[in-house]
Amino acid sequence: MKTFLRVILILAVLGVVGLLAFIFVPVQRTAAVAQLPADYKAPAGSGEYAMRAGDCMACHTAEGGKPFAGGRPIHSPMGTIWATNITPDKETGIGNYTLDDFRAALYDGVRNDGAHLYPAMPYENYRKLTEEDIRALYQYFMTEVPAVSNKVEETALSFPFNQRWGIRAWNWLALGKPGFEPVSQDEQFNRGAYLVQGAGHCAACHSPRNLLMAQDGTDESSAAFLTGGEIDGYTAPDLRGPQSAPQKWSTEELAAYLTTARNAHSTATGEMMLVVRDSLQYMTPEDNLAIATYLKKIGSTGGSTAPATPSAAPEKAEVTDTEKMLTEAKADMPLGPRLYLDNCGGCHFVNGKGAAEIFPELDGNSLVTAKSSKGLLDVMLHGAELPSTKDRPMRVRMQGYNDRLNDEEAAALATFLRQAWHNDAPPVTAEDVKAVRR
Amino acid sequence: MRDVPGLPSRRSFLKASAASAAVVGVVMQAKAETPSAPPPIEEYQPVCLKPTEWAFVMAATARLIPSEGEGPGAIEARVPVFIDKELAGGFGEAADWYMEGPHDAAAHPFRGWQSPLTPLQIYQQGIPVFDAWCQQTHGKIFAELDAATQDKALTSLQKDEMKIKPELRDFFTILLQNTKEGYFADPMYGGNHGMQAWKYIGFPGARGSYKEWVLKHNVAYPLGPVSISGERA
Amino acid sequence: MARTAKKKDVVIVGLGWTGSILGMELANEGLEIVALERGHDQNTVPDFQYPNMIDELKYGVRLGMMQKPRNSTLTIRRNVDEAALPYRSLGSFLPGIGVGGAGTHWNGLNWRPQLSEYRLRSHVEERWGAGIIPEDMNLQDYPVSYEELEPFFDRFEHVAGISGKAGNLNGKKIEGGNPFEAPRSREYPMPPMPVTWDGAKFAEAAKAAGCHPFPSPGGIASQAYVNEYGMQMGPCNHCGFCERYGCYNYSKSSPQTAILDALKRKPNFEYRTHAEVLKIEMAPDGKTATGVTYFDEKAGEEVFQPADLVILAAYQLHNVHLMLLSGIGQPFDPATNEGVTGRSYAYQMNGGYTMFFKDEVFNPFIGTGANGMSIDDFGMDNIDFGREGFIGGAYWRAGQSNGQPIRSMALPAGTPTWGAGWKKGIGEWYGHSMSIGSHGSHMSYRGNYLDLDPTYKDRHGRPLMRMTFNWQPNDIRMTQFMKSKMEPIAKSMNPTSMQEGFKKDGAMYDVRPYQTTHNVGGTVMGDNPKTSAINRYLQAWDKHNIFVMGAGAFPQNTQYNPTGMVGGLAYWAAHAIRTQYLSNPRPLV
Repeated sequence: MKTFLRVILILAVLGVVGLLAFIFVPVQRTAAVAQLPADYKAPAGSGEYAMRAGDCMACHTAEGGKPFAGGRPIHSPMGTIWATNITPDKETGIGNYTLDDFRAALYDGVRNDGAHLYPAMPYENYRKLTEEDIRALYQYFMTEVPAVSNKVEETALSFPFNQRWGIRAWNWLALGKPGFEPVSQDEQFNRGAYLVQGAGHCAACHSPRNLLMAQDGTDESSAAFLTGGEIDGYTAPDLRGPQSAPQKWSTEELAAYLTTARNAHSTATGEMMLVVRDSLQYMTPEDNLAIATYLKKIGSTGGSTAPATPSAAPEKAEVTDTEKMLTEAKADMPLGPRLYLDNCGGCHFVNGKGAAEIFPELDGNSLVTAKSSKGLLDVMLHGAELPSTKDRPMRVRMQGYNDRLNDEEAAALATFLRQAWHNDAPPVTAEDVKAVRR
Repeated sequence: MRDVPGLPSRRSFLKASAASAAVVGVVMQAKAETPSAPPPIEEYQPVCLKPTEWAFVMAATARLIPSEGEGPGAIEARVPVFIDKELAGGFGEAADWYMEGPHDAAAHPFRGWQSPLTPLQIYQQGIPVFDAWCQQTHGKIFAELDAATQDKALTSLQKDEMKIKPELRDFFTILLQNTKEGYFADPMYGGNHGMQAWKYIGFPGARGSYKEWVLKHNVAYPLGPVSISGERA
Repeated sequence: MARTAKKKDVVIVGLGWTGSILGMELANEGLEIVALERGHDQNTVPDFQYPNMIDELKYGVRLGMMQKPRNSTLTIRRNVDEAALPYRSLGSFLPGIGVGGAGTHWNGLNWRPQLSEYRLRSHVEERWGAGIIPEDMNLQDYPVSYEELEPFFDRFEHVAGISGKAGNLNGKKIEGGNPFEAPRSREYPMPPMPVTWDGAKFAEAAKAAGCHPFPSPGGIASQAYVNEYGMQMGPCNHCGFCERYGCYNYSKSSPQTAILDALKRKPNFEYRTHAEVLKIEMAPDGKTATGVTYFDEKAGEEVFQPADLVILAAYQLHNVHLMLLSGIGQPFDPATNEGVTGRSYAYQMNGGYTMFFKDEVFNPFIGTGANGMSIDDFGMDNIDFGREGFIGGAYWRAGQSNGQPIRSMALPAGTPTWGAGWKKGIGEWYGHSMSIGSHGSHMSYRGNYLDLDPTYKDRHGRPLMRMTFNWQPNDIRMTQFMKSKMEPIAKSMNPTSMQEGFKKDGAMYDVRPYQTTHNVGGTVMGDNPKTSAINRYLQAWDKHNIFVMGAGAFPQNTQYNPTGMVGGLAYWAAHAIRTQYLSNPRPLV
């Protein structure tokens, strides 16, 4: 009900403002933020690298489809948005885009026919790309990507979301300054900031949304920036608070997580796993270290580089009550811990600490204790898989327990996990479980 | 279809909370409901054993693992159900074995399975031969004998006192082997009902989580078993 | 008419441990490689996943991970006067099937042979004279020294991920390790696994008897591990399902945990499953192979795969079979003791004591395949062959590997096999027994060999291989020696009762009970092309572009589980191919 009211309110605001905008504001196309020579040639490989940094392939390639030929459905509350063909095909792709057309798509979310893109395209963030990266990307998509003729289904949202002029108003309210301005003396920090805020579009998931459903802040000057968001009902964790993973881990551990989807404490699941698989694993070690450095510095701990507790040798060998109960394995133990021993203990062990880079810690794990239990339940029921990366090629998989746990059991187990060891998150109901089954 | 972890859905736009749950959660039935209790074994409809064969397997397994004394007997553990199902499947038809001729069924037992018959055929041909011997020796077919005489007859079969033909000489061996399999196999195969046999001896089943117990020397592990399907006892 | 596939630089027959190792090493040279695996593809998840994998009936009893005799088997006889009969259902040994091969369903015990084992004939001749060698024993030296192999043992152990405790680091004896092991250049990759009650009890008794117990080395992870390829293992939870099972926990060394996902990333490496190699094809001059013909199960047709280099990396039995079918090396003839292919098939001579303790509990389901404590006090290097009257040795181990009740139900002698007495017995004795095993060497003999069967055919119409094998007096004397030494130690533990299981004089080979899948020899390596099929680099003597991996190379079996040696030899051969052969293909010896 609350959500419904929220949507109505947003519609009303969008409606009024949009109407005014439609009247007064012509289509905006932001100019280049730097003047490069007309014959500027991006360094070899820089276009592909920027593409990886921006993870273009993730949305613009259909499952089993040709790279960048579009056609991937992106489900939204308003209906299905079909990712477009961004190969240089002249009829069905972007072969006719000029550099200015291309930049307008990335900066302003405007197609070359003047129509507005839906902000599923994260132009709020791509707007921060340097002109060098714009040129590199343009060169890459025009000359390195093979043209594929693939007519993608036209996105057809229901009224009022099909009124693309509404977006113009939204843009007017939501979009910040184009280009990226470094704020620090520290080049590593600046590089990290650029990648996080711009191409990496981390805030698209990790920042909360404001009333207009725009990202609440697009850089660290905003207190809400990267303090956690929601994606498809899953919690995208906070990256700045004292209990957030980047603040608890060392910079190196965080960089390892970005590069290999695993580190001494945890493993990437769901959308973040895909981000590592398709984007972050291709970043240079320096760039992932820069991202990690930036994320640590903008956190509540202010970038203290004191290493987190090394997993191999915990500084205090404290035995929690949970661990004691699981170790005793008494015949009459409650259902939750019993299910833990029957299903989870083999890998994650009675101390909930798992094992470095392969079995994630469940004690203090942000997925386990997330506001929404959907991510935890999804992994419990359907399993998870780590991508094969250069440094860690093994596709480590956890099997799902969809067939072994009924709704009540899964709820009891999830509730146990959320309250075991040092965890303290609200319980899960059988209804929550039912909603996640597929 | 085994449960391969699938890819999560691709990023959604405007990450509003409400809508997608409705899309993703389309009326899914809860899985892994505890299976309802099976019908009494007397009402079980064998899938491959004929009535006289079924009667023999019921009677014979009841003596091989009797109900008296501590621990479940073969009947409480539903061992006959297991045997019927196994004989109906790949094991019964020797699906994995090399069964090409020529066969030398009379070869020394150390030479392994040399009968041209499949395990199912051995039951099918062995039961009437043994029943006929029981009839002749003890006056009734096996299933109709009293328990003490049945034990005597089974001992005779084990010792091959009736000089059964070589093609059938593994009859007792596989009958006993299958009985023990049905007693101790995971309940999903029809026997070891309620994991009673595991409980009886103290085997915790398909748990596989004992790291913290390795060094608890000479201390009995207390927790009851779990089955592959997640049944607990 | 066979279809011809696109030519490759290398074709690898079989994708288990050695196929994966050679695949990786040669892919790193930039060669175009195809591996042909006759079985299915398999990955930890979903193929070995918890809880489905830990199903004793399906995998332990019905042998779900093993090759199906219907598709592939051999015939067996005990001597040349007997008609060989097919090994119709698996018993004595269990060859695997599928990607990862036996490396997926082994126990994980990983050893390096003792110093005397590499030069056993010389060792015997130097100390006791050739006179103590039985006339029918084909005793030979390995054509490579321990010093040469050490770096490759080390490499394999660090790739595979072995837990253990060194007892001899570069000649320095280390407390807690095996004082009788050959010097190693590095500590084991992981510390040893903790040991269950049975192992601890044995260690105490052995120590009291003056022996030197040490934790058994094994490919079971005692902690999280990352190897040189970035491949990973997670710590073992002692679930008690190693042998006959794939590990669901990424805890047991296997091609899946150590190599395959890294190898699959290489664009110049490809593997095809359900591709059973039927024959190695020869160039008209007979000096080299041109590739292999395989049966493509999915397409239902034969395919010729041309390649410059052929690596035989199937199981030992299949490598020998393929060599015999393809005419590689002269087949062995026991009448003349001549010929090399099929020569010197050997096995393993094992025995042990089972002890019952009424008032002690062992929780037998808590275990691993490489669990426990071992001693090497009766190892090859420590025995006076001249005095004892045999050539051989054994290591002993106590460490429960599983408590799976269908198969692992030790009961005191005299317990009925069925009925009320049996039921009472299992209630009283499950979890109250332990055993000590003696894992002994097995020599090679003129009468134990492999050739083609004249009668039985496989599904492709090829003759089955025929094994002629029986136990021999030398090895029985060895195992009886072990019994005499073990009995007092077992007794000193004060069991309620105990029983022995050692082969006695006149023991005949029984194919029914499981003994071990350590089938070795048949393609033995050596310095002399008249008594060996392959040279010191595992290269076929008469076809220089064929290299033969695996335990077939062992001139006689060592006292240990073979995988460590097989892995070390694979890296040794790969090194020779990379550094000596590729630049100038030729006979390397």
